[in-house]
Amino acid sequence: MSFLKERPDEELMAAVAGGNLDLAKILFERHHVHIYNFLYKMSKDKMLSEDITQEVFYKLIKYRSSYNNGKFVSWMFTIARNCLASHYKSSKGIYTNLDQMEYRLTEDQNEKIEDYTHLQQALDKLNNSDRELLILNRLQEIKYNELAEIMDSTTGAVKTKVSRALKKLKGIYFEKV
Amino acid sequence: MKSNHIKELIADYLDGFLDTDQLKEVESHLKNCESCNAELEATRVLLKAFKEEQTARPSKQVKARFYQMLEEEKQNSSKVIQLEHRGNWVSGMLKIAAGIALLAGTFALGKFQQQQQSNLEIAALENKSQEIKETAMLSLMENQSASRRIQGVNYIEEFAQPDDAIIKALADRMLFDDNKNVRLSAVEALGNFTASTIVKEAFIAALETENDPSIQITIIHTLVDMQEKKAIAPMQKLLQQQETQPFVKKEIKTLLPNII
Repeated sequence: MSFLKERPDEELMAAVAGGNLDLAKILFERHHVHIYNFLYKMSKDKMLSEDITQEVFYKLIKYRSSYNNGKFVSWMFTIARNCLASHYKSSKGIYTNLDQMEYRLTEDQNEKIEDYTHLQQALDKLNNSDRELLILNRLQEIKYNELAEIMDSTTGAVKTKVSRALKKLKGIYFEKV
Repeated sequence: MKSNHIKELIADYLDGFLDTDQLKEVESHLKNCESCNAELEATRVLLKAFKEEQTARPSKQVKARFYQMLEEEKQNSSKVIQLEHRGNWVSGMLKIAAGIALLAGTFALGKFQQQQQSNLEIAALENKSQEIKETAMLSLMENQSASRRIQGVNYIEEFAQPDDAIIKALADRMLFDDNKNVRLSAVEALGNFTASTIVKEAFIAALETENDPSIQITIIHTLVDMQEKKAIAPMQKLLQQQETQPFVKKEIKTLLPNII
């Protein structure tokens, strides 16, 4: 199976869609850490990120036949975003409370804040959509054209948004330093 | 110093996305513009921070759960796909085995359904309604299982005065059923209704068609008891025939004088 490890994602996913489920293992090995990190950076909740990572790959297998042979990474992150969004939607009431509670806790224990890097703290001050764009583009190294597919937008529009978000982040990052 | 700053291009410059013309423009601008150089430096630091941001590792459970889920999904999806992967002769054998299993399964299903049907028919017979009983009995006699047909024939006991449809169906069993036990049962059942013209004619016809000695003897006895004169000719014919068993001939010779 080693020669398969060189094959592009799209080819592997097409084979999975065709019934060769074992190839999904290669895709999992390649991408599950990316998905987990995206989710973790967005939610800062390890348990939740693990659960949703699990869910993403479950859906990838379950709905394999709906894979349209487009960019695999785009498809996978689209699923991840949807999973995360529907999680927040379904647990809206509870989550805002938990969020507030966590916020209070971290305020009380300053050491907890130090777990997060300066970058993470700066990212947290951005709005959701800017933060997401930068996490995807700069941390997960999703290319502009792939990002455009995920956001259902054009490469040019996405590039402009990313560069604006980066500018905002720069302002925050260098604020008091 | 140009008024036209290149701040918009800095990220692309650091990413290496610029074409040759843009690259020339940016580099020449940077030689003279302090503010753009500061911007460049800041962006470089920020992008470096992204690069250095640590990758978090999910627990091993995520992988374990994924593998488990995958196995479950593999089992849920069609078995045919698994066969294809095996290749070689094992695959061939399995295909044949699957074919046999399918055939046997279909046969068993068919049998089961007929069984179900038969059981329903028996249940119907126990119902009081005469009409339903009749339909059920007629249907049972058409069953592909001989024992079911015998059962159907024997349900004649349920009818004090069976109508022509039932008598004709019994006569058909007696004359044309492939199984001699069914024919014999039909002969015995019809023996109770010898007053019927249909029954008489059927017995005479059976005398000519029947070739099983024990059934022949039963028919002969019934006809003699009935004192059916029309039976004399066919009985004499049986005596002439070479195929007729000696003990059948002997029985005819003994009984024939009793008619009249």
